[in-house]
Amino acid sequence: MSKYNEESSFLSRLYKERTGYLFILPQFILFFGLMIYPIISGFHMSLYKITLKKETFIGIDNYVRLFQDESFIKAIMNTILFVVTVDTLSIVFGIIVSAAIFNKSNKYVSFIRGCFYIPVAVSMVVMTVTWTFLFSPSQGLINFIIGSFGGDPVNFLGDENLVMPIIIFVTFVSNIGQVIVLYVAAMLGIPNELFESAELDGASKIKQFTHIIIPLIKQTSMFVFINQTISVVKIFVVIQLLTNGGPNHESVTLMYYLYEKAFRMNNQMGEAAAIGVIMFLVCLGISLVQLLMFREKSNKKILNITSTKRIPSREEKV
Amino acid sequence: MKTQSSVSEKILQAVIVFLAVLNLFPIYWLISNTFKYSSEITKMPPDWFPKRFVIDSYIDIFTSTNAARWLLNSLIVAGVSTALIVLVSTMASYAFSKLKFRGRNFLFAIFIGTLMIPKESYIVPLFGFMRDLHLTNTYSSMILPMVALPFGTFLLKSFFDSIPDEIRESGKMDGASEWTIFYTLIVPMAAAGIAALFILEFVKGWNDYLWQLVMSKTDEMKTLMVGITSLMEDNRPDMARKLTGASISAIPMIIVFLSFQKYFTKGIAAGAVKG
Repeated sequence: MSKYNEESSFLSRLYKERTGYLFILPQFILFFGLMIYPIISGFHMSLYKITLKKETFIGIDNYVRLFQDESFIKAIMNTILFVVTVDTLSIVFGIIVSAAIFNKSNKYVSFIRGCFYIPVAVSMVVMTVTWTFLFSPSQGLINFIIGSFGGDPVNFLGDENLVMPIIIFVTFVSNIGQVIVLYVAAMLGIPNELFESAELDGASKIKQFTHIIIPLIKQTSMFVFINQTISVVKIFVVIQLLTNGGPNHESVTLMYYLYEKAFRMNNQMGEAAAIGVIMFLVCLGISLVQLLMFREKSNKKILNITSTKRIPSREEKV
Repeated sequence: MKTQSSVSEKILQAVIVFLAVLNLFPIYWLISNTFKYSSEITKMPPDWFPKRFVIDSYIDIFTSTNAARWLLNSLIVAGVSTALIVLVSTMASYAFSKLKFRGRNFLFAIFIGTLMIPKESYIVPLFGFMRDLHLTNTYSSMILPMVALPFGTFLLKSFFDSIPDEIRESGKMDGASEWTIFYTLIVPMAAAGIAALFILEFVKGWNDYLWQLVMSKTDEMKTLMVGITSLMEDNRPDMARKLTGASISAIPMIIVFLSFQKYFTKGIAAGAVKG
């Protein structure tokens, strides 16, 4: 009897709250159908050998085979190298440039930020086409400049030792704008009073940088780290156009290897799905860090709101 | 001491200006070369500015490739996906921010948890799914997976959170329906956030590449990004055509960015600082 009551009150509550469910319904149908379902089905596919005719269950064989595959190990090492160098370069360069410009006039900030952001807005595809042209052995501007200083032309994209540095460089310069936008916004949010009192205490610019700016933008740095890591992990076009993963799979990454297995080779969909699962797990792990940060921050929010109300920040002043 | 620090400050600013302009140079080089004769592009030493300003490369690419069709496809994919994203995520984020229902926090946690998952990681099963539905080589297959992503809902929720609950309650007192309250009272107050989302998503849709590449099977269904890279992989056409394809895609984005810089910076910062 009491169970029946509970159930009906549960249903009537659902009915009473139907507006909320209806408002989220369109987003949720798409989210579950085209994101959650494919993710789950990816785990499933990764346990099968998939050919055009049939699918055979093979357990974790796809994973075992991947970890015995030299090119896959190379792809993992390259992806790690790629992420670590692009993240480090972006954070260091982003903080320095942003700290140097954020307290200047609005126009100046917009100009510098705009110069760095336009390559992001025009996309990796366009930037990669452009850099392919610049690096081209015979028609490229870079070899012309090297030549005019008396150097010999360099075959940038055919040299095993140069391909990864070039891919890292092109990715870094095409993405740095995003990082600068984030850091400038974070630094503009630091209450001006902190800098004024530091100035009165005679703290040097460098002291202000290490004692005020760096600690107060820690959360932004964390976000930049997560965001850059994931955008680097999924980078594809730079490798496709600059090197096609070559020479000798020297510049292959997880993303590129997944594409190659899925769409360039026959009957390797299962292994491609397994690479996707590995990428998913890495990104999910990083996402959970983000979730924990979000939790922590919502608790702090109340404090932040009261403090920004009292002290006018630079943003409000401008 | 004072003068020394201002000198080093000036040097620092000069270096930054130099690097900022240098960072833009590749785009200048791309676009300026598309206004030269194709024979001048590979000339060494190069002309730093086009000697004569010609549009031959543009005439060539529009007459001898499907570039006009690719441009239209990109507009459709970016435009429709943006409109749908704005619609579904405005509704969902309103519910998450202002309406009370069982499981709300749990569902939103799933959203946040999957926020950073790139669709590239599940491209293989998604491809299989679209093939089973016979949707490959259609606009729907390029558009819908972008609408499924939770970013828009996440971004807008923070804008809705900053709107006081009293506004909704006063609408309720006047006897307005939830839908009326939503689009006459609340949506206009979140207009800045919606505009930022609109611009960010349009650029994202325009610049999306890998998924469009695996979904487009025929030349007519290629988007501009896919078209450009197919020109790159073709050894036959000259550099002029390759660069012009990239330029056609870049120029609209530069215009969008310069016109709406404020929304870009606002949207990107909101997606980060609030999360």
